[in-house]
Amino acid sequence: MATDPWEDELASQLRSSFTDVSLKLESFHGQPFATLEPGGYVKAVEFLKAQGFDYLVDLTAVDHPKDPVRFEIVAILYSFAANRRVRVHTRVGDGEAAPTLTGLYAAANWLEREIWDMFGVAFAGHPNLKRILMPEDWQGHPLRKERSIVAMDQEWVRANLDIESGQ
Amino acid sequence: MSTQPVNYLETSELVLNMGPQHPSTHGVLRLVLKLDGERVKAVECIIGYLHRGVEKIGENRTYTQFAPYVDRMDYVSAVANGLGYCLAVEKLIGVEAPARAQMVRVALAELNRISSHLLWLGTHALDIGAMTALFYCMREREEVLKIFENYCGARLTTHAFRIGGLQYDLHDTFEAEARAFCDMFEKRIDEYEQLLTKNPIWVERLRGVGVLTAEECKSFAVSGPMIRAAGVNWDLRRAQPYSGYEQFEFDVPVMHGADSYDRYLVRVEEMRQSVRIIRQTLGRIPGGAILAKVPKVLKPPAGEVYVSTEAPKGELGYYIVSDGSQHPYRLRVRPPSFMNLASLEKMAVGALVADVVAIIGTIDIVLGEVDR
Amino acid sequence: MEMAANSMLNTLKRWLLLDLLDGLWVTFKMQGTGNIATEQYPSDRPKVAERYRGAPRLNINPENNETLCIGCDLCAKACPENLIVVGTVRNKETRRLDLTTFTYDLSRCMFCGLCEDACPVDALELTQDFEMASYTREGLIWDRQMLEEGPRPTQYTR
Repeated sequence: MATDPWEDELASQLRSSFTDVSLKLESFHGQPFATLEPGGYVKAVEFLKAQGFDYLVDLTAVDHPKDPVRFEIVAILYSFAANRRVRVHTRVGDGEAAPTLTGLYAAANWLEREIWDMFGVAFAGHPNLKRILMPEDWQGHPLRKERSIVAMDQEWVRANLDIESGQ
Repeated sequence: MSTQPVNYLETSELVLNMGPQHPSTHGVLRLVLKLDGERVKAVECIIGYLHRGVEKIGENRTYTQFAPYVDRMDYVSAVANGLGYCLAVEKLIGVEAPARAQMVRVALAELNRISSHLLWLGTHALDIGAMTALFYCMREREEVLKIFENYCGARLTTHAFRIGGLQYDLHDTFEAEARAFCDMFEKRIDEYEQLLTKNPIWVERLRGVGVLTAEECKSFAVSGPMIRAAGVNWDLRRAQPYSGYEQFEFDVPVMHGADSYDRYLVRVEEMRQSVRIIRQTLGRIPGGAILAKVPKVLKPPAGEVYVSTEAPKGELGYYIVSDGSQHPYRLRVRPPSFMNLASLEKMAVGALVADVVAIIGTIDIVLGEVDR
Repeated sequence: MEMAANSMLNTLKRWLLLDLLDGLWVTFKMQGTGNIATEQYPSDRPKVAERYRGAPRLNINPENNETLCIGCDLCAKACPENLIVVGTVRNKETRRLDLTTFTYDLSRCMFCGLCEDACPVDALELTQDFEMASYTREGLIWDRQMLEEGPRPTQYTR
C-alpha cells in the first residue's frame, strides 16, 4: 500500500504523547490512520477520545494469515467537533487476546463480540464475550482466510441434503 | 392475638422469550426479557438468524459481482446500500461518477429514503395499534416502487447503480412520475400527521418511551434519525457531502426529546425534506455520460478506504481493504441497524413489556442488515 | 366563556356524529372503480415495466433462425452466482465458436442483470416474463431450448 505520511496538528500531538511505543502515522486517499502495538492501542484511543473523538464508528478486524502477527484490529473513530474520522490499527497474533474498548465506548460490546465470532480474536476484559451472529454450537470462525466458502457450503449440503454439491 | 404472615404471590424474576417469530420484532429478532412483573429488568438480543455471511461472500466475488449482494442487506433501502458501495469502490479506484449520474443517484436515493421511512411508519404504527397508517403508507410506497421498476426493472433489490455511475439511463417518464409523486405525497404526509401526531393514544404510547440521551447515543454509536432526535445536528449528507449533496437546499430536522415520539417527528420531517431534494433535482439533471471510464476488469491498487453515507437508517459505511487483486481482500460493512439495535439493551431497561414493542419499532431495524 | 362555547361545540359534534360521518366519508370516497387495487391474477396479468428483469431468454436471429450467441462466455464470467454454463465447439470452416449447449440455473439466479450487461451481442436478455415456478428443482435448470422458447405458463381466462 502506497501511503502518504499523516502530518497535521493531531498527528504531532499523537507523536509527542506516544514516544515510548512504536507509532506509525500514515494516510491513504486522505484518510489518516495510526498503527500501534497492542500495548499502546487502548491508550491511543483513550487519548483520541479526550481530543473529541467520542464516537466509535466501527471496530473490525482483518486477517493476514501470511504475516507473523496475524490479525489486524481496526477501530474507526469520529469527532463531531472536528467532523473527521481517524483509524487506529493494531496487530494481535492467533490465540492472543486483544485489549478491549468496552470501557470507553458502549458500542464496542457488540462489535468485539462480532470480531470474536468471525475471527476468533478474544478481547481481554470484555464483559460478555460470546458468539453473536453464528449459532453457539458452530465450530470455527468463518471470516478466517482458511475457511473456504465452497468447502463450508459443501459440508453443509452433504450433511443436510444428501447431495455432493450445491454449486 | 398473633397476626398471620400475609402470603403474597411469589414475585420471582420471570424470563420471557420474545421472538424470533414474533410479529412485532420485524423479522427474526429474538429477545430474552427478564421481567419483574410488567417491568423489564434486563434485555438480551439474540441475533444472527438471518446471517448469510455477506462479508465472506464479498471476499469471494469481484468488485462488480458483489454489488447485487449489498441490496440484500437492508432490503427496504437497496438503493442507498448500492450508493454507499459504489462510492466506496469509486474512492478506492479514484474515479468519480459523471454529474448526470450523481444527480440521478441523489434523486433515487431520496425516493428510497421515503420508501424506507414509509415502511417504518406503517409497521411502527401497526405495532402501536394504529392500523390505518399501514395501508396508507403501503399505498404511497407502491408509487415509489413503481418508479424504481420503471427505472431499473426491479422493485426491491434494485441493483440500480454500477461502479462509476449508472447502467440504465433515466426512462423518459421519470421526471413526470417523480413530480406527480411529490405533488401527491406532500398532501399525504399531512394526512399521516393528522392521523398520528396529535392522536392521544399515539402520543401516550411514544412520549418518554425509549429515551436515549445524546451522550448515550454517541457512546452506542447510534446514528441517523435516532441521534438527531436526541439533539445532535449530524447528517452525513450535510456534514460530509457526497454525490453532490452540497448543491441542494434541505434542512436537517433535529429534536431534543430523545424519545420515540421525537424520532417519529424527525422521520416524518425527513420525508418532507426528501421531497424537497427530489423537487430540486427535477429539471436540473444535466445531460452527458452516465458511466465514467471504469476498466472492465477492476483491480484497485492495494490500499484501504472507509466511505460512509447517510442511509435511511443511519451511517452506512463500507471499509474495503484491497490487495490489488480482482477481489476485495476484506470487505466490512458498518451496518446502521446493528449499531442502533445494540442500544436496545439500554433503552428497554425499566420499560414495560408493551413499550419494548414500541422501542423496537422506533429503532427502525431491518434484520437482513443486522445479521448480514 | 370561550371554554364553555368550545365544550358546547364539542358536545354538539358528538351528538351529531360528525366525526363518524367524517370517517365514513373517507370510506365512501374510495368506492369508485378507479380505486380498485386488487388484480384478478391469473386471469388479468399485471403489466410489468419495460425494463423488468425476469426470465432469461437467449435471442435468435428472426431472419435465419440462428442463435445470436457467439459463445464468448462473458455472461458466465460476469455472473456472481456462477450459474451459467456455455458449451461451444470451434467451427473448423468459419474459425468461430459455435454454441452447443447453454444452461442457466434459475434456482440460484437473483436477477441482478449483470449477464445481460456483459453480453456484447444482446443475445442473453432478461425479459418481462415472471412466471417461472416449477414443481422440481431440476425444472429450474433451463437448457438452451427452454431459454430460446421461453416459459409457457398456463393461460387462464375469466
